[in-house]
Amino acid sequence: MGKFILRRLIQMTGLFFVFLVLTWVVLQALPGDAIAQRFRLNPNLPPEAIQQAIARLGLDKPWYIQFRDYMAGFFTGDFGVSFSQYPRPVRDIILERLPRTLVLFTTALVVQYYVGFQAGKFLAWRRNQRGEMAVTVGGVALYTVFYPWFALMMIWLFAAQLDWLPLGQFITISLWKDVPFSSNEVFLQIFYTVFIASLAVVAVSYVARRIDVPRNRIFVRLAGLAIIAAAFMAYWRASPRSTYAWDIAQHMVLPVMILTLIGFAGIMLLTRSSMLETMKEDFVLTARAKGLSERDVRDHHAARTALLPVSTSLVIAVATVIDGGIVTESVFSWPGMGQLLLGAVLSEDIPLAVAAFSFTGLLALVGHFVADILYGVLDPRIRVTAQG
Amino acid sequence: MTDHHDEPQHSGVALAEPPPDLADVIVEPLWRIRLRLYWRSFRKNWRLFRTNAVGMIGLVIIAIFGLMAVMQPILINSNVWPSSVYDPVVGVDENLESRIVTIVDKPEDEVNPLTEISRRQAVFSNIQGSVGDEVEVLESHPLPPSREHLLGTDPLGRDVLSQLMFGARAAFALGIIAALVTVFIATSVGAIAAYFGGMIDSAFMRLADLLLMLPILAVLIVVNSVIPDFKVWHLALFLGLLGGFGGTAIILKSQALAVKVKPYIDAARVSGGGSRRIIFSHLIPNVMPLSFLYMMFSVTTAIATEATLSFFGLLNVEMSWGIMIQLSQAQGYLLSGLTFWWMLFPAGLAVTLLAAAFYLVGRGMDEIINPRLRRR
Amino acid sequence: MTTPSIEVTDAPIGTTILEVDHLVMHYETQQGDVSAIEDVSFQLQQGESFGLVGESGCGKTSIAMALLRLQADNAVFKSGEIRLNGTNLLELSENEMRSHRWSDISMVFQGAMNAWNPVHRVGDQIKEAMDLHIRPQLSHSESRERIGELFELVGLTPEMMDRYPHEFSGGMRQRAVIAMALSCNPQIIIADEPTTALDVIVQDQILQEMKKIQRELGMSIIYISHDIAVIAEVTDKMGVMYAGKMVEIGDTADIFRRPKHPYSFLLLSSTPSITGPRRKLAPLEGEPPNLMDPPSGCRFHPRCPFATEQCSTDEPPLTDLGNGHHVACWNWQEVPDIAEGLKK
Repeated sequence: MGKFILRRLIQMTGLFFVFLVLTWVVLQALPGDAIAQRFRLNPNLPPEAIQQAIARLGLDKPWYIQFRDYMAGFFTGDFGVSFSQYPRPVRDIILERLPRTLVLFTTALVVQYYVGFQAGKFLAWRRNQRGEMAVTVGGVALYTVFYPWFALMMIWLFAAQLDWLPLGQFITISLWKDVPFSSNEVFLQIFYTVFIASLAVVAVSYVARRIDVPRNRIFVRLAGLAIIAAAFMAYWRASPRSTYAWDIAQHMVLPVMILTLIGFAGIMLLTRSSMLETMKEDFVLTARAKGLSERDVRDHHAARTALLPVSTSLVIAVATVIDGGIVTESVFSWPGMGQLLLGAVLSEDIPLAVAAFSFTGLLALVGHFVADILYGVLDPRIRVTAQG
Repeated sequence: MTDHHDEPQHSGVALAEPPPDLADVIVEPLWRIRLRLYWRSFRKNWRLFRTNAVGMIGLVIIAIFGLMAVMQPILINSNVWPSSVYDPVVGVDENLESRIVTIVDKPEDEVNPLTEISRRQAVFSNIQGSVGDEVEVLESHPLPPSREHLLGTDPLGRDVLSQLMFGARAAFALGIIAALVTVFIATSVGAIAAYFGGMIDSAFMRLADLLLMLPILAVLIVVNSVIPDFKVWHLALFLGLLGGFGGTAIILKSQALAVKVKPYIDAARVSGGGSRRIIFSHLIPNVMPLSFLYMMFSVTTAIATEATLSFFGLLNVEMSWGIMIQLSQAQGYLLSGLTFWWMLFPAGLAVTLLAAAFYLVGRGMDEIINPRLRRR
Repeated sequence: MTTPSIEVTDAPIGTTILEVDHLVMHYETQQGDVSAIEDVSFQLQQGESFGLVGESGCGKTSIAMALLRLQADNAVFKSGEIRLNGTNLLELSENEMRSHRWSDISMVFQGAMNAWNPVHRVGDQIKEAMDLHIRPQLSHSESRERIGELFELVGLTPEMMDRYPHEFSGGMRQRAVIAMALSCNPQIIIADEPTTALDVIVQDQILQEMKKIQRELGMSIIYISHDIAVIAEVTDKMGVMYAGKMVEIGDTADIFRRPKHPYSFLLLSSTPSITGPRRKLAPLEGEPPNLMDPPSGCRFHPRCPFATEQCSTDEPPLTDLGNGHHVACWNWQEVPDIAEGLKK
């Protein structure tokens, strides 16, 4: 397994480099002289200042030097200076946006996989029963719905009609007036606490799985979750920033929900057909013949095996979530990577566009990597050959 | 059980009428035999498809949109819809009538402009009257649905139905071109990869893996910025390339592999068929049905992508469903509740329905064509 | 080799433990009813091995599934009873039935290759059944010990329990399936085509192994096969099925020596014999009937060389020929003896 992961990592790094070079080359071909528009045509700038800006952006050098500098810079964390938000370094912008998008994407992915898998499982198990048709039709509708419109409709419903959730944006501006800290600080605080809490949840369920006696297992699991939840709540209760954190959290609900719903249907339909395939397998019959309860047959045998093809779909799901993220973020004016990429391309901000697109590609690659490892973990046939 | 007495006694007739000459049978050209075979299998599959409710619903929706796409230019050209009024881009209905509204004392954003007018607005428009009075004012766009405008007008006075029908044409053109390109490439790639195997195969498959994980929209946003004047057919071509070398190729390759091991391929090889002949007259025709199926799924993706890009204003197209949705968002109709429903729903529903319809037809065909499901 | 913990016999050898009594089961399809099991009766004694033979689609596997009540969703029991130690299984609730599965009747499945879930270890899949049925529940180490013993019994090494199914060869998987079938001390094991997918040498090894285990542990086995050679090799009694009906039943030796149903006769004489005298092979012509619309009278009459007028109108009853040998044929006296006896 270790060897397998290492080989995959090397492949991924190589691929990313190729991707980065391609992105850089393609985006150099952006039409229109963005620099000219931004600096040369600005009558308020003295010529020295223009020269200085151009030198700072490295645009006075030939393309191969620019290329070399960029590549050398990229791997040391220097992505150049943004044109459109001059003189802000691209690195700062990315560092601000990336965590937000990561939270949005991972939450959406985890929730859509969990809910989609469970729903698909029940749907297949209750084949030919009432309700199956309705859920399938709903699933197809969600799967094919035009998602910018769907996102707008959800805003219309939840924000405009029902007034349950805030309309868009990242924060309620009026609330944040005269606040000594930035929204990003609070967001990162949320990010870290949630991250630590989810690590703790994973640890608890890992420990619980090792316990043989069912009653103890359930106790450990519940007690662990309760302690984590209590600690989390206590931390935020004590924090003076909790109102602001709550504001950010509220603004996240709708984007996460929409992004989840978009991907959820596809996973549900896939799980359903994968389950229907597995349910015909002989080992499901064996499990029944052994006298296992229907629930155990379903969860422990049919669903566990049906999970394999579903887990490979993670590669495509990551791509879908990235695309969906671009739409969701721009519909909500939610400042994440997707909105950044769209904005950078529209404003011809080459350094920002290259970096934003590279990180988008990196996300897709990481998704691919995770899917590979996950598949190896889930399927002993792969795991064992990878060892040998 | 001994019933040879019942054997038909028509040997005399058979003698009087000599058996058809073998040459007569062979005279029929091969292409006609082939055509007849295709026609027969088409009829058989059509019979199966007709029993599939899901597929038929999809087909009906496609037919309705197809009719709309065809009718729009006919209505305009025959002057049933004068183009000055009904042109989806530059038409405007200037023939405004008056409507009765009540003067109300409400904040501006709670006023229903179809039935009410705020006091401030009334003063501003020089209308006499106090709160609660009914007054006559000139209509303003967007107009609600009426006999002239079945789906109302947009804020610029253009007919929504005409825009919708015009958009259908673009959606169909794009969807079908993209799907054709996808399937053409994917079938060739799949057949070639399956037939030759080895390096060629793994090169194509690695490429497909890569394309599969690309977020299409992000790529399109970048590509779009590099190609000036990004048109619908650029998009169709691009989507076709991405799909054709991507996921669809993987599926069609595995189907071609299944065909490749069939005995008749060996027979063809033994009887001296070259690679080209085997690929074109054996592999590809047998992969065709599945290609056709994946064409339907490609159309779904293409339609949604086109609408998304034009929603972002990244596509050089005069009018499309995406633009209609974008307009309704940009002009703030989202927040007006249900008052301007004809601005909110038609375009979004149209994209969704047409994309869903192709998907449903695909699923319907899936149950007939896909060997994995057929056994069920 | 036998250890005290692997002990099966709980009824004295020779008591009747399973009675299938006039069982009728249909599959309801959109096109109409398929009569898969039509009035089938047989009995099984403790320690006995019983064989069911017939062409594919004749209802053998349907019977196996019916015994465990694992019939397909569209199957309906029209009448009859399946009594296990006097309890009618068809009247039990699903929960009660579950407690009988594997602990009383276990199964070696057709195509045991796919009987293993690829994602769980072989040992864990066996332990799963034991945790459910063996009371008091065994501790983790006790279960492992028992699985190890079972593995040794079927000719595998105990370490193999920690492997995954794909690491086993076909024969090993089949042995492990037998170990799993034995794990909860069942009274009856149903072996549905236990060796069909294996090569001939492994087939024979497995069958010998099963015979040996049966001798040692004294449980009953129902063998189901289309391969008459397998049935001849391992069973004491056998039933011949045709189109959902039991057409002949009796001692295996009797039927092989003197098949009295034309179908059994043709089935036996279409199998070449190496040891017996040379004889002409009689081919069995035609196709098995469509069970949605079975032939009137005797279901075999369209293919039967001995058929008379009566056969197409009246259903033949089971005629007792003595020594438990029954045959459902109007013209059983016409069927000639097969010259060779069976080396048993």
